[in-house]
Amino acid sequence: MSRTARILLGAGRKQLAVVRIALRQQWAYKADFLLRSCFLLLILYVLGQLYGAAYEGDYERAIGGFTLRQIVWYLVFTEAITMAGPPVGIRIEEEVKSGDIAVRLTRPLSYVGYHYGSYLGEGALRFFVLLLAGGIVAWLSVGLPTLDYGLLAYLPLAMLGLTLSFLMTAAVGLCAFWVEETRGLEFVVQKLQFTAGGLLIPINLMPEWLQRVCAWLPFQAALYLPARLGVRFDGEEMLRACSLQFAWIAALSLLVAFIFRRGVGKLHVNGG
Amino acid sequence: MKLALEARALGKTFRVKEKRAGVRGSLRSLFAPEWKEKTAVDRIDLSVATGETVALLGPNGAGKSTTIKMLTGILHPTAGEATVAGLTPWRERTKLAYRIGTVFGQKSQLWYHLPPVDTFELISRVYELDRRDYAKRRDRLVERFELGPYLHTPVRKLSLGERMRCEIAASFLHRPQILFLDEPTIGLDVVVKERIREIIRERNREEETTVFLTSHDAGDVEELCSRAIVIHHGGVLVDRPVALLRRELLSSKTVTVTLADSEDPATAAEWFGRRAWAPLPEGVELAAIEGKRVRLSVDLALTDMNQLLASLTQAARIADLTVEDPTLEDTIKHIYGMEKTKGGVSP
Repeated sequence: MSRTARILLGAGRKQLAVVRIALRQQWAYKADFLLRSCFLLLILYVLGQLYGAAYEGDYERAIGGFTLRQIVWYLVFTEAITMAGPPVGIRIEEEVKSGDIAVRLTRPLSYVGYHYGSYLGEGALRFFVLLLAGGIVAWLSVGLPTLDYGLLAYLPLAMLGLTLSFLMTAAVGLCAFWVEETRGLEFVVQKLQFTAGGLLIPINLMPEWLQRVCAWLPFQAALYLPARLGVRFDGEEMLRACSLQFAWIAALSLLVAFIFRRGVGKLHVNGG
Repeated sequence: MKLALEARALGKTFRVKEKRAGVRGSLRSLFAPEWKEKTAVDRIDLSVATGETVALLGPNGAGKSTTIKMLTGILHPTAGEATVAGLTPWRERTKLAYRIGTVFGQKSQLWYHLPPVDTFELISRVYELDRRDYAKRRDRLVERFELGPYLHTPVRKLSLGERMRCEIAASFLHRPQILFLDEPTIGLDVVVKERIREIIRERNREEETTVFLTSHDAGDVEELCSRAIVIHHGGVLVDRPVALLRRELLSSKTVTVTLADSEDPATAAEWFGRRAWAPLPEGVELAAIEGKRVRLSVDLALTDMNQLLASLTQAARIADLTVEDPTLEDTIKHIYGMEKTKGGVSP
């Protein structure tokens, strides 16, 4: 085995160990699961009513290519990704501020890699719980989604979407190396993800000029594309979406690595 | 002599934003921020041999933690060089991580909701330990640190002492060549402190682990370390063996006199008032009086011990008399009062 392959394999094993321990720790937060699931049910109920009024209760009608049933399942899919992601930006900011980053930096494990592993471990568990809770509500209210490859395609696309969400929030959190407060920036990015990501309204229902803007941003690759392909599968589009996600993951990984490298050299750990 | 770590003219300065009071001041610093350069560590030289146990001492803000963080690769220095276990810490941080262990007293590496054994398992994966070797090592440390009863209890349910023992055991899992401890016994009771010191000493003896620690606890220094380096205002004030530190730096002794039962009046206070010297000889200070016991602080530069003892025995019948070096705590306080000079220290 070549040296690079050995290093990559070693890094993968470490990453997996972090994912596993984060998953185990996540079991301790049962109240959090319940609260999130209840909140998801509330959102789905309110939005379901809103879209129900827009469609005038007509299950056959399609707006922007989506039927009412597809829209409700679309919401389940986008919300499951959005609500699953742990607040990694806030965690990084707190670690930099409190100096707890010291404990992580003295381990033979990439700092960003550690947070990614922990994000995936926590996020994946939450994602499946939310998907199950939201799915049951959607099933009871509008019935099952179209049973095709969409459901199969959604899972890997959602995992890539979670990775993209991680990279965006981590990039913001890492700004704590320079600025004392990153919450403002995080608020903006989060709200952009909600709007330009198509959390509540699919992007193709938006005005054309906004669709053109969204096409140039990474947010739609995190939410809109996985959810749309989940409810309305198309092989060619799936390939395009996947390539777009990988391209954004590559670009944002470079950005995060750049911010981390520059930032860690400037680090001043509080309290000594 | 093989060196575990060495630092030459290692320094760290950073810029701090100066903020003015009031709303107008805040607005001003928003548009025209004022920066002040602060020196945390002022070009210090250090060298520690393999297997040595060294304490880095100093008051709050002296630069102890910043020094440890530079030596462990967390902070990048603004001046100087350092080699730790043969590597430059801030350039080869990940490689160095395999060779060193760290314990930061106020920060935890254990996963809060999970039992310590889960964190041990994670550490074994992160350090890529051989499975069989890891299991053996873990069992040995569990036995030595007496962690058996709480190895499977969630960390949140452990006491501070139990948690710290787990933290230190975790940092020994990968057999570090050098162990950096930043305030390892902070907040712990005497019994737990003693146990922790004992096991660190044991690892040092058995595995030749170099120990480099910062502490405000004189007991940690006295019981764990063979050498003490005192830093203040970012520079090295004193660097010498702990055994010599007290004797060489303070010319004072503490003399404790216990009066014989037959002495009348019964209390030492009265005895002092009526029979002993008035005023006290130059260089002698009354430190405390408790019942029949009198504690005197004696500066040997000003007073001759022989004369003092002779006049004491003449003045009264004495049941017991002890002459002691000052405590390390007193010595360190004394050192903090010294000024840094080019070649060493001056009082």
